[in-house]
This record gives sequence, structure tokens and C-alpha cells, in this order.
Amino acid sequence: MQSLLHWLESTNLAISVAGSTMLTASLSAVHVIGFTLVVGGALVANLRGLGALFRKRNVDVVGPTNRAILVGLAISIATGVVLFSARATEVAENGTFRLKMLLLVLAVLIHFVFQAPEAKRVDAPRRVRTASAVSLTLWLGLAATACAFILLE
Amino acid sequence: MTILDACEWLQSTALATWVQESAYGFPIVVAVHLLGLIFSVGTLLWVDVRMLGLGLRELRVSEVYRGLAPWFLVGFVAMLASGATLFTAYATSAYSNAYFRIKLVALLLAGANALVFHFITQKQSAQWDDAPHPPLAVRTAGLASVILWATVILAGRMMSYTMFSGPSGP
Repeated sequence: MQSLLHWLESTNLAISVAGSTMLTASLSAVHVIGFTLVVGGALVANLRGLGALFRKRNVDVVGPTNRAILVGLAISIATGVVLFSARATEVAENGTFRLKMLLLVLAVLIHFVFQAPEAKRVDAPRRVRTASAVSLTLWLGLAATACAFILLE
Repeated sequence: MTILDACEWLQSTALATWVQESAYGFPIVVAVHLLGLIFSVGTLLWVDVRMLGLGLRELRVSEVYRGLAPWFLVGFVAMLASGATLFTAYATSAYSNAYFRIKLVALLLAGANALVFHFITQKQSAQWDDAPHPPLAVRTAGLASVILWATVILAGRMMSYTMFSGPSGP
């Protein structure tokens, strides 16, 4: 693991990013854009699942949010990996970063595995409501942890 | 009194001192600012998506707007209040920062775009409210909103890297 992190840091891309504030800032800006797509989609989907939004419409009306979340994840993960590579050994040891990654994996799993929007009905089944509540909590926890990671270093 | 004088006065207020000197003042206000931003822009984006005819087409435009408005308005209030608080503490350096100026212009244009849409374009909403692909004026307003808010986020992040020494900040 340690050698993999060292190898990441020694790549040309990582060295360029580590040496350039403008490159780091630009990547971080695009990272936040991707994350806004993710959290916005997750909010709309889960608020519908909980019955707090568009409650007169079928549960699967928010289906398009899944594609937006995936696009946002692709943007955030691509830029995140490059940002990580520039400081891999240091960041891998960071507790807030580890929590952020754990919440990311859990949020994606709960959101996409337990919440398949098959429901062509107005009242969400109990399973969907529970999954929405858990998913929303995880996404918001991820957002809070992401802020903490930016600020507590 | 010049704008710079006003910025210097702002930085001498008790609020500015609290942000600069208390242990958790700055990180807490920045966290509220970032979360408010993600919350508001993330949900407002879906009004734009509907206006562009790209998604949520089964819902009326007004239905998407009314459903999401309470959520993005709360986010906006949190973002603007925390942003104004942060500005008092770093007013002079923000004033001279090019990204801050870009961000402010984009923010004002986004507000103007929303007002024009609300008070002019929406007057004829009966004709397109349930249309899967709304007319050009509506789509243009949606696209302008997406571009302007993306500019606000991008310039905001660039600003925090160029105004402070470390990779932190608002």
C-alpha cells in the first residue's frame, strides 16, 4: 500500500499538481462542481422518497437524478484521484479523509442498491422511505465531512 | 468614502474580529457557506434541468419550482448570511481579488436572470408550464442559470486558493 502511494506521488501528473496552486485550485473547483451535482441529485431523490417533495407524483418521477449523481460522481472521483495523488502518503493517513471515503462508499451503496426506484406509485413503500432516510443522512454526512477535510488541515 | 474605506471599516467591526480571532469562528462560517451553496445550487439545478427540458419532464415547471423553492431558499439564506460574515473579515483582500469580482458579477447576473424570469417570462407560463420542451426564452433562462452558478462556484473556489496562503477558506 505504502509503495503504491509513493508511486502515485512520483507520477508526472502528481508532481505537476503538487507544484502548482492554480492547477490544485482549478481541480478543486471542478471537484466541488461534481459534488454539487451529486448532493443536489441525492437531495431531490431522497426528499421524494421520504414524501417531502412532489408527493402527488409517482416515486419514480425522480429517476433522472440517478444519471446526474453518476455524472457528478465521475467528475468528483476523477478530479479527486488527481488531487489525492499529489499528497497521497499524507492524505491517506488523515482521519477525516478516511471517514469521507467510508461515507462515500456507504452512501453510494445504500443509494443505488437499496433504493431502486421501481415504485410506480404515489406512496413510497416503507423500505424506500427507510433507505431514503439513511441515504440522505449519509450524503449530508459526506458533505459535512468534505467541508471538515477542507478546513481542518 | 471609497469602497476600500468601507472595506477597512467592515474589517474593524466586532463580527470581523470574531471570524478572524476565535478558534472555530472561521471554519464554522465557511462550512455553513459551503453547505448552503451545495444545498441551494444542487437543488436549484433541477429547476434549470426542467426549464431546459432535460429531465423531470412529467412534472410541470411550476411544480418543480414550488416543490424545490423552500429547500433552495433556505440554502441561499445560509450561503448569503455566512458569505457576508466572511466578507467583513477579509473585505480588503476580497475587494482586490479578481476571482471575488468575477464571483460577485456572476451572482448579480444570476439574480437578475431569476428576476427577469420570475416577473416577465413566467407571466405567460400557462402556455408552456406542462410542455416537455419549454420555449426558447425559458430554456435560455435555465441555461444562463446553470452557467452563472457554475461560474460562482468555480470563481469562489479559485478565490479561496488565491486569497489565503493554504488550500482552505471560503
